[in-house]
Amino acid sequence: MRVRLNALIGGALTVLVLGTAVLSAFWTPQNPLRIAMRARLNAPSAAHWLGTDEVGRDVVSRLMAGAGTSCLVAALTVVFAVVVGSLVGLLAGFARGWVDRLLMLVNDALLAFPGILLALGLLAVIGPGPWGIVLALGLAYTPTVARIVRGAVLSIREREFVEASRSIGNSEAYTMMRHVLPGTVSPLIVLATSLFGWAILAESALSFLGLGVPPPAPTWGNMLSAARPYLESASWLGVAPGACIALTLLGVNLLGDALRDRLDPRSQAR
Amino acid sequence: MRNALLAGLAAASLVVLPAAAQTPLRASLNSDIRSTQPGGNRDFNTDSVILHVVEGLVALNEHAAPVPMLAEKMELSGDGRTYTFTLRQGVTFHNGAPLTSAEVLWSLRRYMDPATNWRCLPDLNGRSGLAKITEMAAPDARTVTITLEKPAALFLSTIARPDCGSTGVLHPSSVGADGAWVKPVGTGPYSLGEWRRGQYVELERFEGYAALPGERDGFAGGKRALMPRIRFVTIPDSSAAKAALLAGNVDVMTDVPGPELPDLRANRAVQVLAAPSMGVTALLLQTRDPLLKDERIRRAIALALDVPELVTSIVGDDAPENPSPLPSASPFRSEAQTRRPARDLAAAKRLLAEAGYRGQPIRMITNRRYPNVYDASVAAQAMAADAGIKIELEVLDWATELDRYTRGDYQAMAFIYSPRLDPSLSYEMISGPKDTQPRKVWDDPQALELIQRSMTVTDEAERQRIFDRLYGMFMQQVPMVVLYNQPDYIAVRQGVTGVRPWASGQTRLWGVARGG
Amino acid sequence: MSATYALKRLAWALPTLLLVAVAVFALLRMVPGDPAQLMLGDAADAVQLDALRETMGLNQSLPVQFARWLQAALRGDLGRSLANDQAVLPLILERFRVTASIVLAAVALAGLIAVPLGTIAAWKQNSALDLAVVGGATLLLSIPSFWLGLLMLLFFGLKLGWVPVVGYVGFGEDPWQALLYVALPIVTLTLIETGVLTRMARSAAIDVLRLEYVAHARSKGLRESTVLRRHVLPNAFAPTLTLLGIVLGNLLGGIAVIETVFTLPGLGRLLVDGITARDYPVVQGCMLFVATIYVLVNLLVDLLYPLFDPRVAAE
Repeated sequence: MRVRLNALIGGALTVLVLGTAVLSAFWTPQNPLRIAMRARLNAPSAAHWLGTDEVGRDVVSRLMAGAGTSCLVAALTVVFAVVVGSLVGLLAGFARGWVDRLLMLVNDALLAFPGILLALGLLAVIGPGPWGIVLALGLAYTPTVARIVRGAVLSIREREFVEASRSIGNSEAYTMMRHVLPGTVSPLIVLATSLFGWAILAESALSFLGLGVPPPAPTWGNMLSAARPYLESASWLGVAPGACIALTLLGVNLLGDALRDRLDPRSQAR
Repeated sequence: MRNALLAGLAAASLVVLPAAAQTPLRASLNSDIRSTQPGGNRDFNTDSVILHVVEGLVALNEHAAPVPMLAEKMELSGDGRTYTFTLRQGVTFHNGAPLTSAEVLWSLRRYMDPATNWRCLPDLNGRSGLAKITEMAAPDARTVTITLEKPAALFLSTIARPDCGSTGVLHPSSVGADGAWVKPVGTGPYSLGEWRRGQYVELERFEGYAALPGERDGFAGGKRALMPRIRFVTIPDSSAAKAALLAGNVDVMTDVPGPELPDLRANRAVQVLAAPSMGVTALLLQTRDPLLKDERIRRAIALALDVPELVTSIVGDDAPENPSPLPSASPFRSEAQTRRPARDLAAAKRLLAEAGYRGQPIRMITNRRYPNVYDASVAAQAMAADAGIKIELEVLDWATELDRYTRGDYQAMAFIYSPRLDPSLSYEMISGPKDTQPRKVWDDPQALELIQRSMTVTDEAERQRIFDRLYGMFMQQVPMVVLYNQPDYIAVRQGVTGVRPWASGQTRLWGVARGG
Repeated sequence: MSATYALKRLAWALPTLLLVAVAVFALLRMVPGDPAQLMLGDAADAVQLDALRETMGLNQSLPVQFARWLQAALRGDLGRSLANDQAVLPLILERFRVTASIVLAAVALAGLIAVPLGTIAAWKQNSALDLAVVGGATLLLSIPSFWLGLLMLLFFGLKLGWVPVVGYVGFGEDPWQALLYVALPIVTLTLIETGVLTRMARSAAIDVLRLEYVAHARSKGLRESTVLRRHVLPNAFAPTLTLLGIVLGNLLGGIAVIETVFTLPGLGRLLVDGITARDYPVVQGCMLFVATIYVLVNLLVDLLYPLFDPRVAAE
């Protein structure tokens, strides 16, 4: 079996991002929080490789320091949404009947909810900070996961190997864990990797509204949203965090694909 | 059949052509107007638009002082209670009817009716303590008298206030037979045209406008409607408004937020205009907070900030730093009120040590609705850190911050006050008893007494002395750190002439023309 | 069979809508700040605030306020905006027309681009072509809509001057002008949705390619292109359809950003502006409307699903 190009690139990118996040805890070229009002919006130079932002902070240092927060918030959000959403989706798809209807009722109500209102409400209760964001975004994405998983369960549960498992006397719960759950992995990984990207971007949109990770802590999202007015006069401000997000997503997505191929029971057939 | 079609096309093009040849002057607004009632359901943008349409007996001039508008002259009786306004001759309403005292009286009575929900009713029926109207009369067709319970120094500037709709005089046909509001039929240089909610509101030149002689002067002076039509276009997103201006889809961009300035200034097709407004950007410190009730800590915060540096970095040379609650444009902000102790980290640390401060976090509320407020809080946080003061920023949406402000529920808060056009009101804005008015930041009985006195005293030198004394007390107690008066920025395309930002901040499009 | 199923689903939609209504109401009142405060601003004194709240009907107890609103809503009256006194239901319908035209066009376009692209990428899995498609889709996924929108505005509106930067004209008034105004928002939205849908379609197509009947079809000597076109492409559409339903629902909240950047008077902007202005009747009305649309869209998706399910087709 040849080493796949996709997996290789994905792994390298992910390691790079994680490495940067870890490194930034110990070292950044400059203090990412140090403002220098006289050095606002400086173009990239030897002193500031990617220039300075609207209050004169070093962009490279902020990008490095932001890697950890951004990825952590996104990862926790995805974990929350996938765990809770899969449980709900599995339960709904497997139990069917009124349990299914009730779960889907709540699920649909939540799904139709605008994320901004959800975030505003939750942050008003919890107070601003990374945890509130994880919870708000996680809750917003959970119903999507639940619906996809439920759909997958419904289409798998009638297939021969599931029937076979039942017919040889395995319990419903065992059948579900052993045979149905793996079948949902494929769409779930695609969704989870997409969610990872959405979460990073959603944090950007939230901080655009002032609801993101509180300042002065950098995240790629809040750097991106703060850079928007300077699209013409200081384009590096937006391009830098945007490129970081894109590369991270690419890495995570490629890795997700590789992971899926390893986990999906049907891939052995090939 | 074919001929009919051609005729139809010709007719259509006839209708279209003149409109295309005369594109209205288009100015951006960051939010749609709320209603067309002067001083009713309103906000800043509503005032800006409506004040093109209606005028009051008096109006604010360029220095925010009340001067005659529809009144030709006004006299104050010896006891200081009765104002007699003589109306100008030759003024007509948009519907052609001449202005007489009857319409003035009708308008005033309508405003004083609680059912109208006029914003300034509490200020004129005695409830807020500003003034109380006891009688209004029209002895003849050109004369209107208004009698107050007792003399009030701020009466004229109150009825001239833009948020009161300048107490605009309306023709009774502004309301329908059932008493419901229809649209403002006023005397202004423009009349109200089509309002497409969420999109634009259009104004049309009033050909019968009787302009005062002389130059434009605030909301008063000579107003000339140079453009036949004006369109205020609602563009909520500032980057979109910037793009629209650069692309020539609007001619004027009003209320430009600071972050959009570098792009605009770098572009030759547009010009950025700035003038300090009378709004106040400040850091509020809750004097009832267990930590901040210690005056030494509040003074240490003030000493830790390099305000000139902070202000220059945010607004450059467009507005000076200003330590006083009085706006820098106010004639009462004397030389003495420009002095602020220089940054002194050693002194700040000494005060903190005396007060026993050990790095307890101070939570400061800020918002992203007003980028300059946000920038100021971020800069203050970093500067205070140099003195060992730990400020944690809490970014809230504007409605939430306003709620916390109204309830006084904060430790520290970066805030922007809307313009107050009279020095007494600038102090009234920040001081009062916290028990009944929790939004007030400064609760000092002696100061309150001085402020009350400043509202009744009419002698200018005496008032000046009061404000200088208040300033001294204010700087000693530091209930808040005033930073500067936010400049009003307007960006216009080359070829657009006559736009001028000013202290009050509302956009004025009379006297504005578009060449080329 | 299918008709009774649809009716049952519709009946179940009612409690969902009620739940949404209650949750929106509760959350909205839990969020600090109220419309009276916003209107009076920094000069709001207690007496004035109280008087304004009284005229806005905010001084009544919350259950009473909710009951009144619900009662009126059941009669089809969603109240009037606290910000500008417009009747809410006509306002929503007017704004919805704008949003619906953009969303439908964009989602249809995105589906047309994404499904074939995803299928081809799946067919050539792990090739350079596949990597390019995945990379492109990922890139689209990682651009926030407010950035992409602004870039489009600056490039096509400002640099090239092809389309006007702000404004909106209804299709009834001037179709050509209307098209110019909505072109950029549709393209922006299409690009953003294409990113997600391509990845979904690719993944679904990979699954289908592994099914026995594809191998069977191949073994029958059918040409690859025929296999792809006849068996893989339609089946790759099924999970994408589920996502499409979700995307359509989410869009109404998410489109606010695009409507703001392109200054379109749409429903998303109405909702978000309503939230920032604490315009309770508008937000409640919008949410009820959006939830209804959402339920209907998903019902439609569920009814269509069996037509596309690969397993159903395979057996």
